[in-house]
Amino acid sequence: MTAGQAFLWVLALIAFGFCLRRGPAAGHRAVADAGRNLLKILPMFAVALPMAAFLAELVPADAASGWIGPESGLAGIAIASFAGGLMPGGPFVTFPLVLTFAKAGAGVAQMSALITGWSIFAIHRIVTWEYPVLGWRFVMLRLISGLPLPIAAGLIADAVLQVLPITLGRP
Amino acid sequence: MITLIRRHASLVVIAAIGATAAAVLWRRDGTAAVGAALVHAWDLFLFIAPSLLAGLLLAAALRQLMSPGGLARWMGAESGWFGLAVAMLAGALTPGGPMAAFPLVLVLAGAGADRGALVAYILSWALNGFQKLLVYEVPLLGPDFAIMRTLITLPMPMLAGWIARRLPIAWEAPK
Repeated sequence: MTAGQAFLWVLALIAFGFCLRRGPAAGHRAVADAGRNLLKILPMFAVALPMAAFLAELVPADAASGWIGPESGLAGIAIASFAGGLMPGGPFVTFPLVLTFAKAGAGVAQMSALITGWSIFAIHRIVTWEYPVLGWRFVMLRLISGLPLPIAAGLIADAVLQVLPITLGRP
Repeated sequence: MITLIRRHASLVVIAAIGATAAAVLWRRDGTAAVGAALVHAWDLFLFIAPSLLAGLLLAAALRQLMSPGGLARWMGAESGWFGLAVAMLAGALTPGGPMAAFPLVLVLAGAGADRGALVAYILSWALNGFQKLLVYEVPLLGPDFAIMRTLITLPMPMLAGWIARRLPIAWEAPK
């Protein structure tokens, strides 16, 4: 277990402790809720992780270095921002794929733009949740307000990288 | 039907992409390559599993402890930057996926939050949600990258909320 995972467990157990202080029923509800969500998320993992692994094998080692490589600049940041919006699923899809792109030569600033673009534009989430629950006007309001953010995130990351040489991947 | 599609659309799309990729890989490199990729996927799962379980427990415990409606009185149309900051904080601390977060927007709207604060709230959840950050981004992409990206995007929802308050698009919570 890494330090980050240990930290997460400490946070979880503290929060669970507060639940138990409210009474055994709240603790029980929390565990049941977590179990239900685990059952919902496992099928996603079962298809998303193999998909990312197959794509990682298929994508040639330098495939991403041209369009979204570290030298691709503003154009690469814009492409990555747009591509982020097309990512077809939740974090269990996106983060393994970002790792795949990074191994295939994608730039760190471009991946910052891609994750930001996915967070803001993810089409599947708009179609399946945001539009049915909140309506088109809210979707437009949020998309227009958030439009420049992925490119801004990429450019700021690019500036940070000039000073701090941050890399992508497991420590 | 709509609920069925909503629940499973991502799953079907991802499975289709995965099956296609597996077929292409099998034709190019044979069965052994497909097997090796599956072993990689399993390793990744084992690597992420401890954070996943802790994240689910933390999210479930927080849902028992927090009452989002109470925050909304600081998120009204006249709340200024302070309201946007409250929305940003609430969004980053909201656990769970879209099935939990989008209905909460309705709860907040009903309790008095304005459109700017709601845009800031949902963007903050999407960009900087703690669960995504701690369960996926830090373990998979490394703490250096995750911290840099989060610091860059942390204030962005407030900016978007400020813009949303100035856009001429009226929005009422659907009844």
